[in-house]
Amino acid sequence: MAHSAAAPAEQYNYDIVRKFTIMAMVWGVLGMSAGLYAASELAWPFLNFDIPQITFGRLRPVHTTLVIFGFGGCALFATSYYVVQRTCQARLPSNVLADFTFYGWNVGVLLGVLSYMAGFSQGKEYAEFEWPLDLAIVAVWVVYFYNFVSVIVRRSQPHIYVANWFYLAFILATAILHIFNNISVPVSLTKSYSMYAGVQDAMTQWWYGHNAVGFFLTAAFLGMMYYFVPKQAGRPVYSYRLSIIHFWALIFLYMWVGAHHLHWTALPDWVSTLSATFSVLLLLPSWGGMINGIMTLSGAWDKLRSDPIMLFLITSMSFYGMSTFEGPLMSLKSVNALSHYTDWTIGHVHSGALGWVALVSFGSFYHLFPRLYDTRIHSTKLIYVHFWLATVGIVLYITSMWVAGIGQGLMLRGFDDYGNLAYSFIETVEFLHKPYVWRAIGGAFFVAGILLMAYNLVMTALDARRERSKLEAKLAAKLART
Amino acid sequence: MSDTTTTTSTPGAVQTTGHAWDGDLQEFNNPLPRWWLWSFYATVVFAVFYWFAYPAWPFGKTWTKGFTTATYTEGGQSHTMRWNTRSALLEDLDSGSDAKRQRQYLDKIAQTDYAAIAKDPQMVAFVNQAGKRLFETNCSACHGRGGQGVVGLFPNLVDDDWLWGGSYQAIETTLKHGRNGYMPAFGSVLNATQIDDVANYVLSLSGVVPSSEASARGQKIFTGATGGCYMCHGDDGKGIKSMGAANLTDKIWTIANVPAAQSPADKLAAVRAVIGNGVQNVRKMPAWGERLSAAEIKLMAVYVHQLGGGQ
Repeated sequence: MAHSAAAPAEQYNYDIVRKFTIMAMVWGVLGMSAGLYAASELAWPFLNFDIPQITFGRLRPVHTTLVIFGFGGCALFATSYYVVQRTCQARLPSNVLADFTFYGWNVGVLLGVLSYMAGFSQGKEYAEFEWPLDLAIVAVWVVYFYNFVSVIVRRSQPHIYVANWFYLAFILATAILHIFNNISVPVSLTKSYSMYAGVQDAMTQWWYGHNAVGFFLTAAFLGMMYYFVPKQAGRPVYSYRLSIIHFWALIFLYMWVGAHHLHWTALPDWVSTLSATFSVLLLLPSWGGMINGIMTLSGAWDKLRSDPIMLFLITSMSFYGMSTFEGPLMSLKSVNALSHYTDWTIGHVHSGALGWVALVSFGSFYHLFPRLYDTRIHSTKLIYVHFWLATVGIVLYITSMWVAGIGQGLMLRGFDDYGNLAYSFIETVEFLHKPYVWRAIGGAFFVAGILLMAYNLVMTALDARRERSKLEAKLAAKLART
Repeated sequence: MSDTTTTTSTPGAVQTTGHAWDGDLQEFNNPLPRWWLWSFYATVVFAVFYWFAYPAWPFGKTWTKGFTTATYTEGGQSHTMRWNTRSALLEDLDSGSDAKRQRQYLDKIAQTDYAAIAKDPQMVAFVNQAGKRLFETNCSACHGRGGQGVVGLFPNLVDDDWLWGGSYQAIETTLKHGRNGYMPAFGSVLNATQIDDVANYVLSLSGVVPSSEASARGQKIFTGATGGCYMCHGDDGKGIKSMGAANLTDKIWTIANVPAAQSPADKLAAVRAVIGNGVQNVRKMPAWGERLSAAEIKLMAVYVHQLGGGQ
């Protein structure tokens, strides 16, 4: 090998990767706990306690923001900075600019969730930040773009590795989405009105909303997958050709599909049709990523028996495949008539968010963390336990949401022998109670898993410190003897 | 870079692209999986078919309409339109099997008088099913799912006491036009002793407290010009339905929660509060004539009538 895998910490900026990894874990624990509490509020409404700051309506954006932008965002900053430096063999251009993205992003997330609890919100899903925070995010994002691109420009490799295509597409698309969806007219420091009105506003919002899923939660995490899966497996990526085709297909097709969130509304019918068909076209390009990830392991399937990190990564690919099959299905108008406004949507989102995004991040972190601290993971057994807690949690979550969503959808369209609606809305709400309890139990499993992971990572860092001080003591003793 | 070799030494094995990153990251140059490629083509065929079938591509100020149609009758005339959300809904409301079945029953309700509906077990069964759904959707937010109401706010519909009348016609009028219940506040008209006297009298009407000197004084105020209570509640205190004034001689309490008050003093206090403050801005039933069809109003009148003891 011309290029050594063992790189001294001075060659790359590992400090920024470490900081983002730690904050991803902090936001992950907080965000998933907030989600568990919100889920419990739905099952047992008394948990709202009539405290405005923690009622479901305010806690939900706190949960989504913490897990998507806090956990997911920090995980992407951490891994993209790690991957781009290592695969380009170039250091980030400036420690100060790297730190700027770190403090800017995390303070932004913190102020965001505090403002939601205080009742300030743009009222746009996944874009609830009021306008001053939106502007701050743009500043952070521009610096992020500069940091990332300048490493690619200064790379000492002739080719750009596939993971970096995905990260770059994510950075560019997120900037465009964020800016255009948040254009608004401020009336005070804490209040603004969207520049768009009516169905245009809804379309812009869901163009943003679905591409937040497509670029932030999919393309970027595929970048993560393209580095950590072959690294952990020790095998080449299955197909370079497939990676090119599915990359461009994904990038091209995702931008069209957002309107499938607005079927059977004031949306023009032709927009509905186009978004549904492009969603179907998106199925195989999405699966291209899954195939490339899973087939990378072909010939080394035995690793699934011995390597729990591989279990995380491969299972995440499977959930990715499942939810990208479910998505096009739900985007068909006839299926959507049943599924829309029910918990099936919530289950679908979580099979992607927990099964794909969180599991691939967990797997990557278990690979990454010991390398950042130049040690070994504290306990492999705990990784196994985490894997099973997470998997059981996800299965409970999505099956209970299937029952809730499909059940409620069928009840709302049920007719009696006289042609009357068979159920009133309140009866469907009563029916939801049990699935909601099971969903909360599933969520509790998942939260237990990430708590275990946090413990394991903290112990790993402490192990590393102990080893280092032992080594230094030995060295000092040796020096003293001579 | 020296990584142009394959990682396996099997002859005929797929080559990598010859690039390596970060030490050992490489890519095989496998062809696209056939099943993947053909499945992708299949989704393209599906999409193109869909575009021809339904409204799809915009051009200029219009868009391709698709070859699917929807048919419905309106005003006795049959219309066939290109498929769109609107025409699909009209078709479903017009010829959907459930819509047709329900329309049969609703038409029958519209043509039958109340007495005949109540005698026809099949129509009563329909009213019970349809009425329950309509009640839960439109009425239960205030009156409760069982029609039990909330004392002080929303009348109980399952007892045999009717503020505005319990005949089919009276209930129909209530549903169609809504109601505004009102009682003036006497806090500034009567002094504390007088209010106390009237409260004693009101409670004595249904035997909650025995007659006394106070209730006798109260009766004078009630039936005389000082209080003028009789003008709405009647000389005998039995209420006047056309004004929505409550019958005070039964044991049903709609505003003052007398049964819930433990001691006689609390019961008096509850009635005193109503006399002092009146009943204002709480008894407002919206009109449903615009929201429900005439047949639906009719079936709801039958449904509500049989919830309690209709008259």
